[in-house]
Amino acid sequence: MAVEPLYNALSAIKTLRSNVAVAFESLGNGIRSDHGEDGKETKFLLELQDQLTVVNNNLRDVEQSIGNLQPPHNPFSLGNSGYLSHEYSHDRQALYSQLVLSYKWTDKVHEYCNLAHAQLSQNSLTRSYTNTASAKRRRVQTSSHNVPPHAVDKVITQIDRLLPEMSVSITRPFATNVVLHVSVGRVLRAIIAFKGLLIEWIIVKGFMESLDLWTESRFKVFRKVTENAHAAVMRFYMPPMPEVSVKSFMTWLHSFNTLFSDTCKGCGLHLRNAMPPTWREFRTLEPYHEECKP
Amino acid sequence: MILMPNFGVVVAGPPRTVHLLNNSEQPATVFSILESGQKQVPLVSDPLFMDLMKKLASVYTGKQQTRMEAKGPRFEVADFLVKLGTVTMNQNFKGVLVEVEYRPCVVPAYCWELIREFMQGFLGTCAPAQAPVYLQNRMQEIYQPLDTIQQYLEQFREYRKAVTVR
Repeated sequence: MAVEPLYNALSAIKTLRSNVAVAFESLGNGIRSDHGEDGKETKFLLELQDQLTVVNNNLRDVEQSIGNLQPPHNPFSLGNSGYLSHEYSHDRQALYSQLVLSYKWTDKVHEYCNLAHAQLSQNSLTRSYTNTASAKRRRVQTSSHNVPPHAVDKVITQIDRLLPEMSVSITRPFATNVVLHVSVGRVLRAIIAFKGLLIEWIIVKGFMESLDLWTESRFKVFRKVTENAHAAVMRFYMPPMPEVSVKSFMTWLHSFNTLFSDTCKGCGLHLRNAMPPTWREFRTLEPYHEECKP
Repeated sequence: MILMPNFGVVVAGPPRTVHLLNNSEQPATVFSILESGQKQVPLVSDPLFMDLMKKLASVYTGKQQTRMEAKGPRFEVADFLVKLGTVTMNQNFKGVLVEVEYRPCVVPAYCWELIREFMQGFLGTCAPAQAPVYLQNRMQEIYQPLDTIQQYLEQFREYRKAVTVR
């Protein structure tokens, strides 16, 4: 349904109402002093007549713009808000202002989404799968944000069994989303926050350090590894296949089992700038120094 | 960095030695190692333990003449901790001791090669090719502050035996 004629009709009604109010006000006030002494009745009548003409014109506008409107084809589906009519006292709901606010909000979201979509569809570097081909569209898109908890558990325990040097424990401090405590050998510990099956945040720390989501490690090595892990999360980000994404990330993290004992593939040494090779190649999992990586 | 081993000897029965050691990395802790024959009994305690040992003067006689100390600057390079200590025994200069610690790693076996490479960087040929004897049996275990103390004790024993300056 087009919104423009509706706006026009609403503003026409607004003008009509204000002009009617003006006419009735001057009628109610009667003859005023600024009409002068002689012939004041005629002046007053003329003024009233003018105002009524204006009102008449406005009424014609309103009728015209209503004529332009098309009645909606099907009844509005109001969802749960349809039940509101069952409440007889409207003051008790105090919903009106909130409804208006949320309406404005959704309206804005809609507008921004349109703009963002226009921008993103031009950008060829997009990592999200917005412009999937029609062949792919036929398959049901799996949501990776909204996964039932037991499915998440299943994926994670599978990964846990796959990687022998890695031990994993699942906690759910915030309702449904998993926070994972991982220890890799006796080398490092990591805490990973999930959103459904997508990795949201990771912190890597030393084996003897205490784990929490916000404080960084005391050691430079693990701060660097955390940084690289963030890069890896981005690299393995794959919403259509979240299990694969989590699995490849975990395999990558598992390769840090030999963080201190492996030499760099680039220079063949353990140390560079007093740091061990903190970078693992994403495909081959080969260790490199920050400065040596290809 | 200071390390002060005091030696005590039990009066009754076969003589046993207690080494009392302090490490400036753990200032609120006293480490004591009791030697009885082949066995060693380590004890990690509060500084008050020093006062307790003074109270036990009738049982343990202090041998203050063998007080040893390693004192010097402390450097941090990335995650490495390097301590250069001049070793003195009763104010007599005995030698220089270099301690290298790689703090992120808790299992010596994982990072020994890495530490060796680091030491070769500034010690050249003086860098040891093998891990210290004490550590060799404990390469796969998790490293504790007590292990540092044990290694110092090992080194101090060597210094006491040695006649010349090392």
